[in-house]
Amino acid sequence: MAMDSGADGQSHKAHRSRHSGASAKKKTKAKNKDQNSDQKQQNPKAFAFRSNAKAKRLQSRAVEKEQRRLHLPVIDRSYGELPPFVVVVQGPPQVGKSLLIKTLVKHYTKHNLPDVRGPITIVSGKQRRLQFVECPNDINGMIDAAKFADLALLLIDGSYGFEMETFEFLNILQVHGFPKVMGVLTHLDKFKDVKKLKKTKQRLKHRFWTEIYDGAKLFYLSGLIHGKYPKREVHNLARFISVMKFPPLSWRTSHPYLLVDRFEDVTPPERVQMNSKCDRNVTLYGYLRGCNLKKGTKVHIAGVGDFSLAGVTGLSDPCPLPSAAKKKGLRDKEKLFYAPMSGLGDLLYDKDAVYININDQFVQYSKVDEMGGTTNKENKRDVGEDLVKSLQAVKSPIDEKLEKTKISLFSHNGRKRRKAIFGDGVDHSNLKSTDEENEGDEDDDSDNDNDEGENDRSNEDNESCSGSEFSDGDEEDLKSEDDRSNEDNESCSGSEFSDGDEEDLKSEEDGMGNISKWRASLVERASKKQNINLMQLVYGKSASTSNTSANEVKDDSENEESDEDEFFKPKGQRAKNSIEGLGGGNINTEDCSKSTKISELKNWKEEEVYESIRDRFVTGDWSKGALRNQMSEAKTEEDDIDGDFEDLETGEKYESHQKDDSSNGGIQKEDDDAIEERRLKKLALRAKFDAHYDGSESPEEETDVQNGGKFHRSQANDSGYYDKLKEEIELQKQINIAELDDLDETTRLEIEGFRTGMYLRLEVHDVPFEMIEYFDPCHPILVGGIGLGEENVGYMQTRLKRHRWHKKVLKTRDPIIVSIGWRRYQTTPVYAIEDQNGRHRMLKYTPEHMHCLAMFWGPLAPPKTGVLAVQNLSNNQVAFRIIATAYVLEFNHAARIVKKIKLVGYPCKIFKKTALIKDMFTSDLEVARFEGAAIRTVSGIRGQVKKAAKEEIGNQPKKKGGQAREGIARCTFEDRILMSDIVFLRAWTQVEVPQFYNALTTSLQPRQKTWQGMKTVAELRREHNLSIPVNKDSLYKPIERKPRKFNPLVIPKALQADLPFESKPKNIPHRKRPLLEDRRAVVMEPHERKVHALVQHLQLIRNDKMKKRKLKEEQKRKEVEAQRAKDEQVLRKRRRKKGKRETESKTN
Amino acid sequence: MGKITYKRLKGSQNMRQRLLLATLKSTPVLIEDIHADDTLPGLRPHEISLLRLFEKLTDDCLIEINETGTKLKYKPGIIVGGSHLVHDCGVSRAIGYFLEPLILLGLFARKTLVIILKGITNDSKDPSVDTFRSTTFPLLKRFGVPSEGLKLEIKSRGVSPHGGGEVHLAIPTVQHLTATMWTDEGMVKRIRGEAFTTRVSVQLGNEMIYAARGIFNRLLPDVYIASDYRKRSEAGNSSGYGISLVAETTSGCCISADTTVSYPRGDEEEDIEGEEKKELIPAADVGEKLASVLLEEIEKGGVVDSTHQGLLFLLCALCVNDVSKVRVGKLSPYGIETLREIRDFLDVQFVIKPDPSTGTVILKCWGSGMKNLSRKTT
Repeated sequence: MAMDSGADGQSHKAHRSRHSGASAKKKTKAKNKDQNSDQKQQNPKAFAFRSNAKAKRLQSRAVEKEQRRLHLPVIDRSYGELPPFVVVVQGPPQVGKSLLIKTLVKHYTKHNLPDVRGPITIVSGKQRRLQFVECPNDINGMIDAAKFADLALLLIDGSYGFEMETFEFLNILQVHGFPKVMGVLTHLDKFKDVKKLKKTKQRLKHRFWTEIYDGAKLFYLSGLIHGKYPKREVHNLARFISVMKFPPLSWRTSHPYLLVDRFEDVTPPERVQMNSKCDRNVTLYGYLRGCNLKKGTKVHIAGVGDFSLAGVTGLSDPCPLPSAAKKKGLRDKEKLFYAPMSGLGDLLYDKDAVYININDQFVQYSKVDEMGGTTNKENKRDVGEDLVKSLQAVKSPIDEKLEKTKISLFSHNGRKRRKAIFGDGVDHSNLKSTDEENEGDEDDDSDNDNDEGENDRSNEDNESCSGSEFSDGDEEDLKSEDDRSNEDNESCSGSEFSDGDEEDLKSEEDGMGNISKWRASLVERASKKQNINLMQLVYGKSASTSNTSANEVKDDSENEESDEDEFFKPKGQRAKNSIEGLGGGNINTEDCSKSTKISELKNWKEEEVYESIRDRFVTGDWSKGALRNQMSEAKTEEDDIDGDFEDLETGEKYESHQKDDSSNGGIQKEDDDAIEERRLKKLALRAKFDAHYDGSESPEEETDVQNGGKFHRSQANDSGYYDKLKEEIELQKQINIAELDDLDETTRLEIEGFRTGMYLRLEVHDVPFEMIEYFDPCHPILVGGIGLGEENVGYMQTRLKRHRWHKKVLKTRDPIIVSIGWRRYQTTPVYAIEDQNGRHRMLKYTPEHMHCLAMFWGPLAPPKTGVLAVQNLSNNQVAFRIIATAYVLEFNHAARIVKKIKLVGYPCKIFKKTALIKDMFTSDLEVARFEGAAIRTVSGIRGQVKKAAKEEIGNQPKKKGGQAREGIARCTFEDRILMSDIVFLRAWTQVEVPQFYNALTTSLQPRQKTWQGMKTVAELRREHNLSIPVNKDSLYKPIERKPRKFNPLVIPKALQADLPFESKPKNIPHRKRPLLEDRRAVVMEPHERKVHALVQHLQLIRNDKMKKRKLKEEQKRKEVEAQRAKDEQVLRKRRRKKGKRETESKTN
Repeated sequence: MGKITYKRLKGSQNMRQRLLLATLKSTPVLIEDIHADDTLPGLRPHEISLLRLFEKLTDDCLIEINETGTKLKYKPGIIVGGSHLVHDCGVSRAIGYFLEPLILLGLFARKTLVIILKGITNDSKDPSVDTFRSTTFPLLKRFGVPSEGLKLEIKSRGVSPHGGGEVHLAIPTVQHLTATMWTDEGMVKRIRGEAFTTRVSVQLGNEMIYAARGIFNRLLPDVYIASDYRKRSEAGNSSGYGISLVAETTSGCCISADTTVSYPRGDEEEDIEGEEKKELIPAADVGEKLASVLLEEIEKGGVVDSTHQGLLFLLCALCVNDVSKVRVGKLSPYGIETLREIRDFLDVQFVIKPDPSTGTVILKCWGSGMKNLSRKTT
């Protein structure tokens, strides 16, 4: 569509430097100075590397920096016009969000916005549209807003400082892919002190930087002038927004999504009257973002649930970009503005009608006009005329737009859409009169048209299933209607319907009879020259139309089934088919990739037969072989367009126009040659051009694909892996664009789905009525496409970390609300951590500062998706509401989380080293499960479970006549255990993760109400005033240990007899009185006394001598030591001197 | 928790593609009327074996079959893969029947798939294991499958009726498949092949080779057909012989054909009844015929032979969101069925344009953007 505008880079006006004046002088001065200084420093030696190592280090650093700069190039698959960028304005209440949007809108469009409700789309530049959304103030709204924001403006009350909402929103953004963020400080006029203001700004800025990155933009809005932000500042802000680049985010580039800017209830009014609480049909309008939307895709409406699309229609853009004429800036006419939820914007485009909003002024104006002119007619007429007049002013743009968009429900070619029906009056007056003229032959169809005029909405419903509605209108009628109603020769949508209809009829025929026919003769046909429409042959017409009016999947499949029923009904056909070699039964054909008919082979020994494929071999004519590949490609396009065209016209008669084609072929061949030549010339020119510009710019606008592969690869010379990767991506993109541009609009829609940037109307059936009842335009609706495998429910493993600002740790199995992908739901996770050996051990609580695994049940999201967890949704809490962040690791049903289990048993009988253990197991089966398991007693004796014990040995039930007791295990130990021992078996048991999830249905209840799901155990206890149950056995008590009394050691007599005498226990009886030897006193003789005294004297003398000697020796030693120290000092001095002298002599 | 909505299908046709696509897209399917009108209603042994194989490779999948075996409920799980797997394919269909879905399944598994398949290696109904090695693997490489991990070893050959063959298959995993523009079919530059004989004279193999070369020699000098003579434990339980041929073109396309002739064993009289009428084709005729089949495939044009059309379309449809463009000879019935199944399951339609000057067909599609979701992130 607007490929050129998207792909071409915008040419900027070159900078014109001043040639005169003060600044010019300054510049020249600086320049001169610079040159002078340059000349001075032109000594190359001075700046060369002096150190080898330093040079190496610098180089490696440079290389490293270069590498760090590189990121894996992201493939941007959005071709064509981009959807408007979503600017989410977020902030705590009363910070000035709506005012900012209002002033920005005023700045862009010169319109005053009374109040901000829903998304507001504006054209902000030649290449750019913006959609402003105010973020609601509850956490649900914030989460949704973070999922569709391209740019988040965080409004911060400067006079107050940061509030929790800002940080919460930042965290949400981070988890869901971190779009661009810009802070805006408001309420700065509350500061009287300039210095304080400056300080606060600085402080807030740095805090903001720590949260995002250093240098993140924080914008200041200094105050209010006439209740609005200053014009200059808003202008600057708009400049910042306009130059912002939006990097693709991985989740969003892989999922289609819509930010709904218009929302209608299209339930038939009768149904609502019958039951006001019936399920509704709604239509949702918005720009398609992310990736292409296929018709069969299911969608998730945030806060409501999953739905399949009952109908998708591409509408003309309500807020188109200006035409790509070369001019500066936007003209006033192009400053478009679209905000249906706010009740603004003049035109509303629907699938088949355009609604016009007329201001009161205009109505008055036209009345004046009417006064002068036609007053003789009825009032009814007047209104109609007014409308027509007001329409005339904007007519051409509508027509253009309508012509531009060729999307329609049915696969028709080149048909124009019906002109818009604008209001009641017109329809009645014009159409009715014509209706009356040929009422006779026009029946159902025209009536329907009238209905449409009166009640557009009801008709919208019908359209999706129009096949049945209009089935009786025949072609001629419609044609006549065509001629009659449209002088301007713009075919109306009625004719479109009928057209679709006509095809439907055909297709139905196809479905009933023809399919089986073609199926039968398929092989023959294929063998013939194939210029019949193969797509129809393969896919069949009926199926494709049923697909377009995508019903609910279940219905769809049933449809298909019924299709197949009809498809396969004639059983007689079967015999025919079996001859064909397609196998036995139609639906039970054998599954064989190899076609097994070797019967009718040509005789390849004959010369003309094998010569016919000579050119397919390298021994043949190379030029012919090459031609075969090249020619055909250029040709096919031409041929096929013709083939398609004719096919539609003639319908089922393939054979007849085969001949046509072949006759045409001859004529076309010459044309083809000419075209081919021209194409090659162009290519050559382009190659020349590229060669010139190689290096300066990456080859971006190369759309030549036919020989693109080789052409490009040669260019990717040695510019590194990164550049090669980028080039490949670019090449692939160009190939895609070229290939898709080949197709006509209808097939393209079928092949790739609706493109991003289109304005879509989604119809969804059976939506709970609460969505309508509690709809609030201030809460934008997000519709996200469900990707591959995301509609299934299962176990997910995530790596989770408690948020550091959440005050508590999280408890296993406490319900938390998670936001994954588009969804929000409540689930009960089980936390675990991976042990060294790869075992996942359950944790009762999350670790305080570490990551852990969390496994929970819920709708699946692909690995690497961010997860955000919240526990309490209510607005009236001060604390930080985000409790944890995580990302999905894998889906895994087999992953087991285990916890420790300790089985305790008691010996009931002890043999030598074997014991029978009771109470450990409850049944023999259980024992069998644990055979060979290691066990241990408290005292540390290790053992092993052997087998279930036989009853007779264990507890002799037969003798007692009681029931046999099961679960007694025979165990062996490394030593004999005691009856008082307790035996443990330590094992792991699997923990079940609860299969519970509860989708958050916040859109189905009043917005101010807090959603209430499953409560945590703590909450329930608090509510019911219950205390925490205590297991008395688990309480810690002071340990009391009695001193153990040991029995005396008794040595058997036999052993005693053998022992040597020393080891023998001596049995000396205890005496009451000491022996006589001990008791008696000794009296010495006089001589003896003398001797004793003498010995004592001698000893005294000796002792004294020794003392003296010791003292002397000590003194001596001290002296020696002092002397030695002195000597050493002298020696050292001398040595030093000597050394000095030596060095002196050396230097001399 | 939520009710599962099954996609309802009928009949046993395209069972392999249906199960494969259902598993990849994780759509539960309900197939009814499976061989309902036959004298022996219900699932065939090879179909049951296929289901078992799927069950083996996936985690948490649910298969329910009703009593008569005419109704099948299949809720796919997560493709796990893994090594040290063994599967007995039975003798009702050849290993080729199982390999076709297995290859794609293995690409999107969590762990690399290493599996031992036992049964019939060569058959006239299904592509032989030689063909997989020579043609299918190069085809996969076109779509960005790393060639290092792809491996197929023929430990022993087995032909019908008693099989006894064994192959070791290894398939690496991929994050996604890359789109390809593959319309240049090139010119045939060489022909390679392998003729095997199991439990019969080696002479038969040589006869086949001689006959096949006789036909090719007029067109191309570069023809080399190896002979693979198997005996004892490597030869399986039945006797037979066969040949598989591959034509390689200048642009790297491989076009293959293969066939097998097998003898029922002498001692099993009751089995032979049906096949008694069919005279055993002499080896020379087999070689000649197969050479003609290959030439016919070459004549049809296209970057793959008619056997691989289905696989090619599946690969194109499973690519990332880019345009793939391929050229094939005339559409085979199997290819057409595959295209329809792709439309039904993946919501991917092909633009099919005939190329009248060469009698080939050019197909274009916008890949479904299939990603390997079961792979664990680190």
